[in-house]
Amino acid sequence: MAQYDFKKITVVPTGNDLIDIVLSRTQRQTPTVIHKGNAISRVRQFYMRKVKFTETNFTDKLSKTIEDFPRVEDIHPFYGDLLHVLYNKDHYKLALGQLNTARNLIKRIREDYVKLLKYGDSLYRCKSLKRAALGRMCTVTKRIGPSLAYLEHVRQHMARLPSINTGAPTILICGCPNVGKSSFLNKITRADVEVQPYAFTTKSLFVGHTDYKYLRYQVIDTPGLLDRPLEDRNIIEMCSVTALVNLHAAILFFLDLSGSCGYSISQQAALFHSIKMMFRNNPVLIVCNKTDLQTLEGLSGEDLKLVMEMKSAALDVLLTMSTITDEGVMAVKNAACQRLLDQRSERKMKSKKMPTVLNRFHVAMPKPRDQKERPVCIPQAVLEARAEEAAHEERKTEKDIENENGGAGVYSASLRKHYILADDDWKLDILPEFLDGHNVYDFIDPDILQRVEELEREESAVEEDGGDFEIEDEDFTAEAEKDLQEIRKRKKLLIQKHRIKKSTAESRPTVPRKFDKDRKFTTERMGRQLSSLGIDPSRAIERARSRSVSRKGRKRERSVGGDGEDEMEIDGGLDNKKKLRLRSRSIEGFKDSAQKMKAVTMARNATKKRNKDARRGEADRVIPTLRPKHLFSGKRSIGKTDRR
Amino acid sequence: MRLEFCWFCSSKIYPGHGIQFVRNDAKIFRFCRSKCHKNFKMKRNPRKVKWTKAYRRLHGKDMTKERKRNRPERYDRNVMENTLKAIKKIDKIRHDRAADHIAQRWKPKAAKERREARKELEQSISLIKAPLAIQSQEPAITVPKIKVKAPKQQTVEDQLMEE
Repeated sequence: MAQYDFKKITVVPTGNDLIDIVLSRTQRQTPTVIHKGNAISRVRQFYMRKVKFTETNFTDKLSKTIEDFPRVEDIHPFYGDLLHVLYNKDHYKLALGQLNTARNLIKRIREDYVKLLKYGDSLYRCKSLKRAALGRMCTVTKRIGPSLAYLEHVRQHMARLPSINTGAPTILICGCPNVGKSSFLNKITRADVEVQPYAFTTKSLFVGHTDYKYLRYQVIDTPGLLDRPLEDRNIIEMCSVTALVNLHAAILFFLDLSGSCGYSISQQAALFHSIKMMFRNNPVLIVCNKTDLQTLEGLSGEDLKLVMEMKSAALDVLLTMSTITDEGVMAVKNAACQRLLDQRSERKMKSKKMPTVLNRFHVAMPKPRDQKERPVCIPQAVLEARAEEAAHEERKTEKDIENENGGAGVYSASLRKHYILADDDWKLDILPEFLDGHNVYDFIDPDILQRVEELEREESAVEEDGGDFEIEDEDFTAEAEKDLQEIRKRKKLLIQKHRIKKSTAESRPTVPRKFDKDRKFTTERMGRQLSSLGIDPSRAIERARSRSVSRKGRKRERSVGGDGEDEMEIDGGLDNKKKLRLRSRSIEGFKDSAQKMKAVTMARNATKKRNKDARRGEADRVIPTLRPKHLFSGKRSIGKTDRR
Repeated sequence: MRLEFCWFCSSKIYPGHGIQFVRNDAKIFRFCRSKCHKNFKMKRNPRKVKWTKAYRRLHGKDMTKERKRNRPERYDRNVMENTLKAIKKIDKIRHDRAADHIAQRWKPKAAKERREARKELEQSISLIKAPLAIQSQEPAITVPKIKVKAPKQQTVEDQLMEE
């Protein structure tokens, strides 16, 4: 009486897949590391665990499969027969049996090898034993490979079987191929079965559901039957036969009056009589389909007689309909459902429980007090409101205008039309935003003209006033101007010279003035400078020349020669001692003054050239090359090069 | 469309230029170019950065801006016309006044320069003319006179009255 669900069967793995699954589980879920240095008991334990684990996994998986698949004997005979028809009961049982055997074998293997492992004396021996055990288990599994494949195939097919509730009220449709069974199913239920002009379009059972008097009915569509003995029937026909035989349902036998299915009425009648046996207690209805092509009245005498025979066998229930024109379809359905319902309620009535149920409830109808009529009452206001609603005019909204003018993308609503302005012409004015780099909005002011006038007045007032009182100076005279320019020029030159001197001070040796390399310090120069200052230079030049060393001679000479009148005179008379000292000091190291003269001359000549050249040397703190190439180019072997 | 002013340098930002920065307290900072933006990010105070208008106004180098009114007015075409005409005039007046301001600033410089020139002439005359020459030529060089506007002479009567 239950709804069978064959979809819950777990997937059956193939032989190799099963081996992979179990072995990889063993590898992952058991410890993997063992050394031969470990205690032997530990080694044994390690390998025993692996063997046991593998066996457990195999057994679990096989057991699951065996239990999931239904036993043919235990299920409803309809399904039992269906399974037999589709998959061959024997083959099915054999496959499951093989799985069972394999399971037992694996168990036996595990027992044997665990016993052996208990006495393994080395790691290598234990390991070999474990390998042997696992190998044997895998071989067993490989052998049942084909059975597993078959069972998987069966499972997939079973999952797609129509779920028929064997206890629910059912309507079964049968008849010759192409009479219109599937079209009828499509009409009364929401099933969408394929309808084609060739025979055996429907190859298996299809279920639809329909409602009648608050009860849900199953409608089963079967493949067409041919008039053959049972042994000759193929699998598809056997499906429908199974359904006929095993299910308790109202049977609708379909007749094609026109013969467009390819079978004449006599053939169909023959079929009916041959399967009559299978109907047993089920209510039967003969349904004549395709009346649009051939009505019952228009039948020939013989055919009519055959039909009447069938009708009598079916307890005088004959209906006509046409699935294309929908004529009589509902009537047929209702009739079938009603027949079933009647039968069921009859049975229930007859059962022992019925009186107890009947006793439990009682329907009470109130007696009318008087004959007054009491109709529906609606208040007047409500009626008026309803009338007003109906007559209410629709206001035209902006949305409507938008839709009229082309929709959202085409029309853009004018937001300006509701502006409140002094003059309506201004509504569509374009507002300037800026002018000459100023925001117009910042200047808007109703009194702006006034303000502008004020400003202009201010400006003109200021202009009339004129400038402030200044302290007036007399400008310089032309001469004073000229002098000022001169002064400034002179100052600039001084500064420039000083700067040059300063910058070159470090890099040039300061040659004392007396060497006068460039012949700058001459009396002519002095004379020029003095005359530019406005002084007559002649006297100064004279004096300078008279006092020059070349003219006057050297101090020492004069003293040696004893002609130093000036000094001598100033000092007064010299002592003899002084004279002696002077003399000896001055010609120290030399024979006489002539020799000294010569030596002095030679020394002077030697230094003259050097001084004249006045060249830079290392001591002069000069950088000979400011940017040596080796510092400013190339990569470094160590360090960074982002600064040079 | 509005012409905004740069927060940092107070120059006008035309459409399509600059960056706007919105702070978490919803204050908007507008910058005319990345120079101002970067200065802002460095947290520099525009009142201390010499080339900004804020500095110049604060230190009296430029004329201060007048406050703008923020009252919205209903649109009136005539007012708009007048405004457009007035903008030009106002602009000119503003421009002139700003120029005036700057000219005023420069005025004392001329007097100062003259004073300094005079002093220089006195002190450094020795660079071009020797003192002997000056002494001999004295009458030729004249130091220019300074004229000061004298206050009105108090008449005797006034003086008496004061006393």
